[in-house]
Amino acid sequence: MSFISMDFALFVTVALILYYALPKKCQWVVLLVASLTFYAQTDPKDFIYIITTTVSTYICAALIEDRSKKQKLYLEENKDTLSKEEKKQYKAKVKAVQKRFLISCLVLNIGILAYLKYANISIAYINLFRLTYFNSTEFIPFIRVLLPLGISFYTFQTMGYIIDIYYGKYERERNLFRFALYVSFFPQILQGPISRFGNLAPSLYGEKSFDFNRIRSGFYRIVWGLFKKLVIADRLASFVSSVMSAKESYPGLYILLAVFFYSMQIFGDFSGGIDVALGVSEMFGVTLPENFERPFFSKSISEYWQRWHITLGSWFKDYIFYPLSLNKSIIRFSKKVRQMGLETFGKRIPIYIPMFFVWLLTGMWHGSQSRYVVWGLFNFVFIVLGTELEPLSLKITTRYSLKESSFFMRAYRVIKTFALMSFLRLFDINADTAGAFRAFRLCFTGWKSFDITKVFEELSLPAEDFYVAVIAVILLFIFELIQRKGSVRVRIFALPVAVQWVILSALITIVSVFGYYGPGYDAASFIYGAF
Amino acid sequence: MDRIKEILKGVHPEVDYEKEDHLIDKRIFDSFDVVTVVGELMDEFDIEITAEHMIPENFNSAEAISRLVSTLEEE
Repeated sequence: MSFISMDFALFVTVALILYYALPKKCQWVVLLVASLTFYAQTDPKDFIYIITTTVSTYICAALIEDRSKKQKLYLEENKDTLSKEEKKQYKAKVKAVQKRFLISCLVLNIGILAYLKYANISIAYINLFRLTYFNSTEFIPFIRVLLPLGISFYTFQTMGYIIDIYYGKYERERNLFRFALYVSFFPQILQGPISRFGNLAPSLYGEKSFDFNRIRSGFYRIVWGLFKKLVIADRLASFVSSVMSAKESYPGLYILLAVFFYSMQIFGDFSGGIDVALGVSEMFGVTLPENFERPFFSKSISEYWQRWHITLGSWFKDYIFYPLSLNKSIIRFSKKVRQMGLETFGKRIPIYIPMFFVWLLTGMWHGSQSRYVVWGLFNFVFIVLGTELEPLSLKITTRYSLKESSFFMRAYRVIKTFALMSFLRLFDINADTAGAFRAFRLCFTGWKSFDITKVFEELSLPAEDFYVAVIAVILLFIFELIQRKGSVRVRIFALPVAVQWVILSALITIVSVFGYYGPGYDAASFIYGAF
Repeated sequence: MDRIKEILKGVHPEVDYEKEDHLIDKRIFDSFDVVTVVGELMDEFDIEITAEHMIPENFNSAEAISRLVSTLEEE
């Protein structure tokens, strides 16, 4: 069931009625039934994977917490007889057992994800290797499997949960069915955001009274999400795919424009979908974390990644980057290098080595093809260059008396970051790495053949489509500018009721009239829904 | 506390750790410095510092770091 369908609107309406009509203690049950119903709309076989993840994580969390409680009890009972060293040894023994449970859970669940996501691409590489080096045509057959809905998102969410339980950040959920709701909560299963149990649990399981303001606020957010998805992303998609599918036959300026438009398209698509998820969730009084914070206003690539897909970035930071960065072996290696007199280099080891792995994995998370790994590593290289060249950049700005806080410098950094991130997206738009490099080269060729009067004829696109998309992007830009000073919805709700209705009606009209519903159009396909 | 100050001096000798309480907020310490200090603390005090401890409030001053070390030593 797509987020953008009458079926989904009806489904949410029925769920909302039941949610607020039934006794409050049943509210989480309504959400669980709704989530399972939503999930069942896809291939029922997918249930095997989500149930495996739910049950295995639940059991491992119970085993880990049980050991922690036994340890606490034992230390309490023997606090006067045990020496500090004995207590330490006992704790280390318990930790080792808990670690075994943790690792079993991680291996099983990340193993499932890796198998489903990378088995076929690995088979393809093995077959190619055998053909190239051994001239063998005995190919290993591909496995017949489709990626289950939301597997990357719920796997990351549950693995974050089990790691937090291991570190004793919060108590585990004791009710298996309530835990199943955390794993499968329907607004976030399709494309995130990736929630943390400690933050989500209070509003997910809490009892709520009907609140019209909450429904209204959620509805506004849904309509805004639909605007971003249907008016911006899907309109730009037709321009981008027209150009990129025959890039050799277009002037470089078209390709350059398609590159920048793709950035806007993917932002509209992904953040629009997240707006729908957050809006629906808000109607049920469940607070999901924000996933975007005006990423196109970022002044560096590091900042961009703190504002784009925030929950994935923070997941990688907490569960991959820091555990590696604070790993004793890496720290010792760094110290050794520093003691050899290589202070600057040694200090960078606990940051850059983990960062390399974070970007390698981020690339792999986005897709199984090698171009995503290249994309991830390019991000890594640009971030390292940005960090290392900062002193030089500071020298230049000081030398020419340029103020970092001036409008000119801020605009320069914002535009530079946007351009760099857009070019990196070439790995996303093109089918392979070579195609991405070719598209980059083509951006700067054939500018002389550009004729503004023939643009739409050459692209076989109606001019109106293009203008609507451009106006919508400008509208989005204005909205994001206003949002820097606080929530736009809060401002709207402070206006007279009649004005609020005018704004909402205008937005619904714009989405209905200018939403892209061309031939072959499939509103179901959110780009990030494929992960 | 003295050992902590020694470790900090090893990273930025020019800072007055008696007075300075915005090491991170004022960007006196960057991420490379913080991880270097964390490594030294883990070695020196045999403690485990994890992601949840990596917040500016824990590293803004010698005193804040000392508090963090004491908490982790008790665990």
